[in-house]
Amino acid sequence: MTTARKQTPLFDWHKAHGGNIVEFGDYLMPVWYASARNEHLAVVSQAGLFDTSHMATIRVFGKDAYELLQWCFTRNLDACVGKDNAPLTDGKCVYGLFLDEHGHAIDDSIVYKIMDGEYMVEVNASMGGAVAKHLVEQAKGRDVKVFDLTDQLGKIDIQGPASIKTMAKLLKNPEVVFDKLPYFSAKGHFDPASTLAGQVQLLDGTPLLLSRSGYTGEVGFEMFVERAQTVKVWEMIMAAGAEFGLTACGLASRDSLRTGAVLPLSHQDIGHWPCINNPWPFALPFAASGSGFTKAFLGSAALEMAAPSADWTLTYVGHDLRKVDGHDAKVYLDGKEIGTVLTCATDMAIGRHEGRIYSIASPEKPAGLAIKGLCCGFIKVGSRLAPGTTVEIKDAKRSIQVVIETDVRPDRSARKALKSFL
Amino acid sequence: MFPADCKYTKNHEFVKPLGDGTAIIGITNYAQEALGDVVFVDLPEVGETFGAGDEFGTVESVKTVSECYMPTAGEVIEVNADLEAHPEYVNEDPVAKGWMIKVRLEGAVNAELLDAAAYEAHVASESH
Repeated sequence: MTTARKQTPLFDWHKAHGGNIVEFGDYLMPVWYASARNEHLAVVSQAGLFDTSHMATIRVFGKDAYELLQWCFTRNLDACVGKDNAPLTDGKCVYGLFLDEHGHAIDDSIVYKIMDGEYMVEVNASMGGAVAKHLVEQAKGRDVKVFDLTDQLGKIDIQGPASIKTMAKLLKNPEVVFDKLPYFSAKGHFDPASTLAGQVQLLDGTPLLLSRSGYTGEVGFEMFVERAQTVKVWEMIMAAGAEFGLTACGLASRDSLRTGAVLPLSHQDIGHWPCINNPWPFALPFAASGSGFTKAFLGSAALEMAAPSADWTLTYVGHDLRKVDGHDAKVYLDGKEIGTVLTCATDMAIGRHEGRIYSIASPEKPAGLAIKGLCCGFIKVGSRLAPGTTVEIKDAKRSIQVVIETDVRPDRSARKALKSFL
Repeated sequence: MFPADCKYTKNHEFVKPLGDGTAIIGITNYAQEALGDVVFVDLPEVGETFGAGDEFGTVESVKTVSECYMPTAGEVIEVNADLEAHPEYVNEDPVAKGWMIKVRLEGAVNAELLDAAAYEAHVASESH
């Protein structure tokens, strides 16, 4: 039985503005407007606006909310913030995963501590029900309430160097809002009844939860608003950002940007295999000694068992922008098949020159270097390969040589001080 | 509306005869819109000959790599050199700027090709 696809509040806007609408899981979403390539480049050099209202927000309340999340979520909430591994305090958020007892990924997530007894869990589109159900099952009589807010909120991501100036035009007291708002922290609330709702407001008083985070590797915010405010807020931001080149962006550019930022796609780069030996060790609470974890959590025992023999997920970059079909490609080393391709995308903002990868945003980019884009992504193979190793990725039509790398798009802006963009 | 001075294949290539025994060949506006940003075009060499239906090149977009098939038989006498630096010409204007190869026609233009009206009907039926 096929069910009708769902729409976000911005569906009509997307169609009216040339959005090429496709089916994306349960939803109808724009894959691009005029040009996926231009949208990708706009985010790296100016700013882009993404409708992410299809993502799912779960609220977790109660005395035992911390304990439940400490068991279910891979990050150690007592030691996960910044290079000193500080505890997760009010207004801080952290990236990690929900695993099953085999150490396989249920979903990846950003978890926010709003205040004592109140957490917010952000997961992928269509995963709100499954993750909420998982949390309720694991709660086992603990004093905790879980609310799945799927399709009840609006969410808009603004990403790129011009994001900060754009939002500064729209916020009350932007200097106060942007002060002490480091990467992976949040202020405000989408619920007007929250005690935090006054922290971040648009000029017309609309409250929003402003999260200094995103899925592109470039500086910006994920913004949560009441559902009914979504279209108004989107249009306000588009108008404010026009002078800075703010561009509406679809799912194709979202995917190519996140790949260039070495970020995984749930159910593609992480999935039904042990979530270890991959480019995201920060998602697990490894002890400083490197052996073992700093806490036990759902899946930790299985990961410790699996680690010595688990497959390796590695990052690669090609030599030009041509790709293979990431859903149907294998990896070869010296003619032998060694694994599969998980993701194959093109980061349009990067190019190779004399042994280095440059971005259009790289301050040391040689003058006159024509940047045309490079194929990049993730592979899963049986044993670890050193960075610099060349492998072949091959689909039914073509074979491409790519190099194992530790990073893809250099000089990303996500972590830079907000005031440097004003 | 598709140009009346072209003939079309069901696979969304066009051939535009130039009146002197030569023609230009490329992909249609419907094809470029469906593909999205064209990022690379792989073209044959001058002098190669192809029959109707033969693969003569590929067009790669952000979405996929698609083979391009000859609407009619001919010998390649020119390739569009602009497409190496500007593959986006295929999106901007697939006939005037984004044409791919110029051929000397071999024999009459393939009689099985669709005219503009028939191609438009074909596109309409494919979009459902």
